[in-house]
Amino acid sequence: MRVKVNDRELELAPGTSVIDAVFAAGYDVPYFCSQAYMSPIGACRMCLARIGAPRKDRDGNWLVDDATGEPKVFFFPTMMATCTTVVMEGMVVDTLSKEVKDAQRGMVEFTLINHPLDCPVCDKGGACELQDRAYEYGTGRSRFVFDKRHQEKHHPLSELITLDRERCIHCKRCVRYFEEVPGDEVLDFIERGGHTYIGTLEEGLPSNFTGNITDICPVGALLDATSRFRGRNWEYDHTFTTSLDDASGSAIVIDARTGRIERIKSGINPEVNKSWIDDGIRFGHEYAGDPERLRRPLLRRGDAFEEASWDEAAAFISERLGGLSGKDVGIAIRADATLEEGVAARALAELIGTGQVDHAPRHGPSLVPVHGATLQDLATATAVIVLGDVTEELPALDLRIKDALKGVSPPPLFAHGVPIADLRLKERMPRARERLTVVAPYRVGLMQHAGRPVVVPVGGEAAWLQAMTDVANGTDPDEGALGMGRAEAQGLVRQWREASKAVMVVGGFVLASAKATDAAAALAKAVGASQLLVPPMANGRGLEITQVLPSHARYDYRGMLAGSAKALLLSGLDPARDPATAARLGACELLVVHDLFLTDTAKLAHVVLPGKSGYEKDGTTVSLEGRFLPVRAAPVDNGEAEDLTGVVKVLGEAFGKRLEGRSVRSARRVLRKELGFDPAELDRLGLLHDLPRRRSGVSVGPRQEATGAALRVPTMVRPEYLARNPRLRAALGDLALRLHPADAAGHDLHDGDEVRVPVDGAPWRLRIVLSEAVPRGVCLVPATPDAPVGRAHVALEQVVHERRALEVA
Amino acid sequence: MTDAVTEAPKPITSRSDPRFEVTLYAHVGAPGSHTLAYYRAHGGYDAARKALGMTPAEVVDEVKASGLRGRGGAGFPTGVKWSFMPPVDGRQRFLVCNADESEPGSFKDRYLLEDDPHQLIEGMLIGGWAIQATLGVVYVRGEYHHAHERLRVALDEARAEGILGTGVLGSDFDFDLILHRGAGAYICGEETSLMNSFEGLRATPRLKPPFPAQAGVYGLPSTINNVESFCAAVHIVARGAAWHAAMGTDDSKGMKLYQVSGPVRRPGVYEMPMGARFRELIFDLAGGPSERAKAIIPGGSSTPMLPWSDATLDLPMDYGTMAKHNSMLGTGGVIVIPEQKCIVDAIYNLVRFYGHESCGKCTPCREGVATWLPKMYRKLLAGQGTRDDLAVMEDMVKNMRGTAFCPLADACAMPVQASFRHFRHEYEHLADTGTSRYPRRREWAE
Ligand SMILES: Cc1cc2nc3c(=O)[nH]c(=O)nc-3n(C[C@H](O)[C@H](O)[C@H](O)COP(=O)(O)O)c2cc1C
Ligand code: SF4
Ligand code: SF4
Ligand code: FES
Repeated sequence: MRVKVNDRELELAPGTSVIDAVFAAGYDVPYFCSQAYMSPIGACRMCLARIGAPRKDRDGNWLVDDATGEPKVFFFPTMMATCTTVVMEGMVVDTLSKEVKDAQRGMVEFTLINHPLDCPVCDKGGACELQDRAYEYGTGRSRFVFDKRHQEKHHPLSELITLDRERCIHCKRCVRYFEEVPGDEVLDFIERGGHTYIGTLEEGLPSNFTGNITDICPVGALLDATSRFRGRNWEYDHTFTTSLDDASGSAIVIDARTGRIERIKSGINPEVNKSWIDDGIRFGHEYAGDPERLRRPLLRRGDAFEEASWDEAAAFISERLGGLSGKDVGIAIRADATLEEGVAARALAELIGTGQVDHAPRHGPSLVPVHGATLQDLATATAVIVLGDVTEELPALDLRIKDALKGVSPPPLFAHGVPIADLRLKERMPRARERLTVVAPYRVGLMQHAGRPVVVPVGGEAAWLQAMTDVANGTDPDEGALGMGRAEAQGLVRQWREASKAVMVVGGFVLASAKATDAAAALAKAVGASQLLVPPMANGRGLEITQVLPSHARYDYRGMLAGSAKALLLSGLDPARDPATAARLGACELLVVHDLFLTDTAKLAHVVLPGKSGYEKDGTTVSLEGRFLPVRAAPVDNGEAEDLTGVVKVLGEAFGKRLEGRSVRSARRVLRKELGFDPAELDRLGLLHDLPRRRSGVSVGPRQEATGAALRVPTMVRPEYLARNPRLRAALGDLALRLHPADAAGHDLHDGDEVRVPVDGAPWRLRIVLSEAVPRGVCLVPATPDAPVGRAHVALEQVVHERRALEVA
Repeated sequence: MTDAVTEAPKPITSRSDPRFEVTLYAHVGAPGSHTLAYYRAHGGYDAARKALGMTPAEVVDEVKASGLRGRGGAGFPTGVKWSFMPPVDGRQRFLVCNADESEPGSFKDRYLLEDDPHQLIEGMLIGGWAIQATLGVVYVRGEYHHAHERLRVALDEARAEGILGTGVLGSDFDFDLILHRGAGAYICGEETSLMNSFEGLRATPRLKPPFPAQAGVYGLPSTINNVESFCAAVHIVARGAAWHAAMGTDDSKGMKLYQVSGPVRRPGVYEMPMGARFRELIFDLAGGPSERAKAIIPGGSSTPMLPWSDATLDLPMDYGTMAKHNSMLGTGGVIVIPEQKCIVDAIYNLVRFYGHESCGKCTPCREGVATWLPKMYRKLLAGQGTRDDLAVMEDMVKNMRGTAFCPLADACAMPVQASFRHFRHEYEHLADTGTSRYPRRREWAE
């Protein structure tokens, strides 16, 4: 389509909105209600322009302007909203005439009459679309001499989001967002006309994706409560990085001020998280600024710790290690460490001469699927099989699945980025629910959107997958395991097979079992689905493919804790909750703990080294789809904290060695050789890069399948830090033990009770939540890095009440 | 027999033309007219039977040929609208009746609903057959309690007699109607807001395209018409398109329910052929003004007023003429404005109405119509306005014109602009002296 915007002609794809044509032509037009990845609605009327187009006569010939001989341009009688107008052949758009400017000025004036203009005390000030547009397109003068609308200025929509109703300009972005993106309709306008305001029906915002509305609100009406009044926008350092909270590879922007992280916003990565992040990623950062963070190394002196320098700590460690056989030393790092940290761990292991090196948590099976899918594949799939609770485990998947249900392919990118107004998107679009099958051992949130929800018994995934594979292969299935009639199962299998693109998402419940994982692969193969495997932590896939793995299965992390190591270096891991493990750790000849806080495990250590949070590291991570992404350090005051490369640097020096991995740069030299590209050159969008599955010959699976009628379930938040994330905790409540009301009655448990209860023998303090989504006889407890997703034993008969619900009230 | 051109008969444009016969309102006011028995006794449902004997396309063509234009205000050709429905593809299709009549000055649908509900049912049956919809929705204005009640009973009667339901009137066509009562919002008269409201959503207009024919009620193919449009279809089918087209002017065919309110001796609804003149309506039928008039609003409160003059009174009330005179025929709801009524006060009354009814979706209407403009009027009427304020008002109204999402903002802006055009001196008098040129009288007090 040839379109002329002011003086510039350009060729655009049919279906493009005029507002995108204007931006593509390099002109500007103000807008408030349009928002990338959401439906254009034409509500703010800010994007007005004069638009004309030629017309054809009855015979299909262009009506010609006699004077010029060119097709005559007929202008629309009124100004048109460019966001809701589609380009036409020969269209002429005028955004510069006085008429247009007057109309835009009029809209700015209307928009401002009820706006409080309290910019000096508004968190959005300096980064506010209304401020910018009023400055660019307004008159700078108000003719409105009356009282402005007075409404609530500090309305807590939830513990995480504060609404200032006076500032709202009714663009409806927030309302549309909830319906269109996560599909959780928790917000709407109330009242009408000049009284219209934003509100909720019920208390709070029950959704895992609420914070995104604070990013897209064009004004300071919706604000992130963790950062409210904490800084002005021009004071923040913005760090564009990748979240290490899960393996989605979500782009985030860390806003820090005077050495403190004040807020996290969503970054933009069109192929990964688009412009959305979940609340765990957004609001779960407060722990990084916790005053109890370790700032200097600690050395044990008798029963107490003393602060020490890094050199003193390193000297102590090297001396102790000198007295041990290298083989007896174990090194384990948390699976959200960067690739560079992985290289450092490997280098250290090599120096010491041990094969006992591992990352944790780590499932037995490999995280590299035989036929891998990407997130874009998932978003454009016509059949999706989800095994597990992805809304909690890796929430970005949840949103991409919802894209697939809408069936709108990812938009083309313009020079100005994602289309401002993608006219294919509509409010209240129908969703192809039948595309989605969700299988989990309890009712998970995503099942609401699924054409076929299947609740399997605890540990029943393998049997279900096997039975479906049998159906697919035409062999006799175990009908009892199908959870549906055989004919229905056949229909489902046919649907998957015939789908133009089928993707299977495999979560932790399946990956925790080698048998179930194999069964999932078999079903995927039988129906022609590609797979996305959900790593238990951010960089599980990366640490696997860069071989941060033990030389032998019995030297894995569990093995080390069970006694194969006499000396241990644990980075970010805290296994001491389990009393038996704690006893063994206490008996270690050397225990070095590298962490942010003085954890239970750190308390048993000889040396405690201050670590960096995922916001403070430079490095590289690999997402679940195999995308290599850059991790960048925000300027945070963390004392002498170091990541693992820093630890390895001083330890190497203590041994008189310059180790590979002694810095991010040196680790990258190693990675460059192994990967075939330099991670330093990754841009924000990252790089999909295939690397082989973990090296063969080493069986690294757990030796036996876990048992237990309870489940450790994934949570969007990081349970290990929840207590140090006060807002998130207030919004979501303490860590919960969820069970069916009928089961609770037998144990004198009530909703809201706080109890102590052994989980696999380790004491846990949990809040009781009764829910009919949990099947009878099953308890759900949170998974942690040291007790990942999977089956568990919960000794309900040993429950001890700490506080009863009534007393809390 | 050479080429003797047979003189086409003169179109019927006056109620006093002997060829004119009252049809739509023939039974309004007659005792028992709302019952099925009465309706049947007067030829009721014969037209529907006739329509069911035609093909749907023939019915659509008949309505097209009749020249019927939508009576809900916009005047879109009804037959053309019906032909927009996509081919039958197995999806549910809806026929919707807009019975939300809320425009000040309009009250014609009300008596059709109250006194002749079966006429509407028959019209919808014909429409349903024409567009091959098996379900219809009647969205009745919330305040029309009596109409709702009459319609409810009529629907029950019709169902009991096999006029609605499976195999209506012995045919193999299924058709039923859902009666839905509004909750008192003018914006629900806008066709897409009406659909949102019917679906239980916030009543705000939807983006068009897609038009209702592509995605209407629940996103399914739908056609929406006004009560009077459906009733007219009954007579078009019964008497033929030519009969209908014989009435009216070039662009406006058929009979129309005109309403007249304000200081006239016999306000009310009068059925006339289109193209009849204001003079006939106001003087011959309504008995003339009961006091000196200075303006008339020709078609419901949103249509720009015309000054009271012989020239105006002699204008034919049809779509084209009204457009030529910078106004609109709208619903045909004529409001006579008396000389002694302060125009600023009168228009404020309308502004207040539109401000109250703004849905709040778009900026010019929410902030202009619903917030700023009424405040300016209040300032002016409180005697605190200035000439600068008048300039601000005019400029603001200009910014509201043609910029809003739906026509409601224009519906407010247009009468305001017209009042400035014709009665600027009254505004200026108020601004200069702080008092109305025509102080409020008791009967106008709020
Ligand atoms: C603000 C607004 C209010 C309206 N109110 C009504 C109404 O009360 N009744 C009606 O029939 N049409 C009303 N309309 C017109 C309808 O949108 C629509 O054009 C009409 O119902 C179509 O029917 P018709 O083609 O038979 O006229 C309104 C339009 C607008 C913009
Ligand atoms: S709260 Fe913000 S995002 Fe929501 S409608 Fe108001 S201005 Fe728009
Ligand atoms: S003009 Fe805008 S605010 Fe007014 S009723 Fe229409 S959509 Fe709603
Ligand atoms: S109307 Fe808001 S961006 Fe176009």
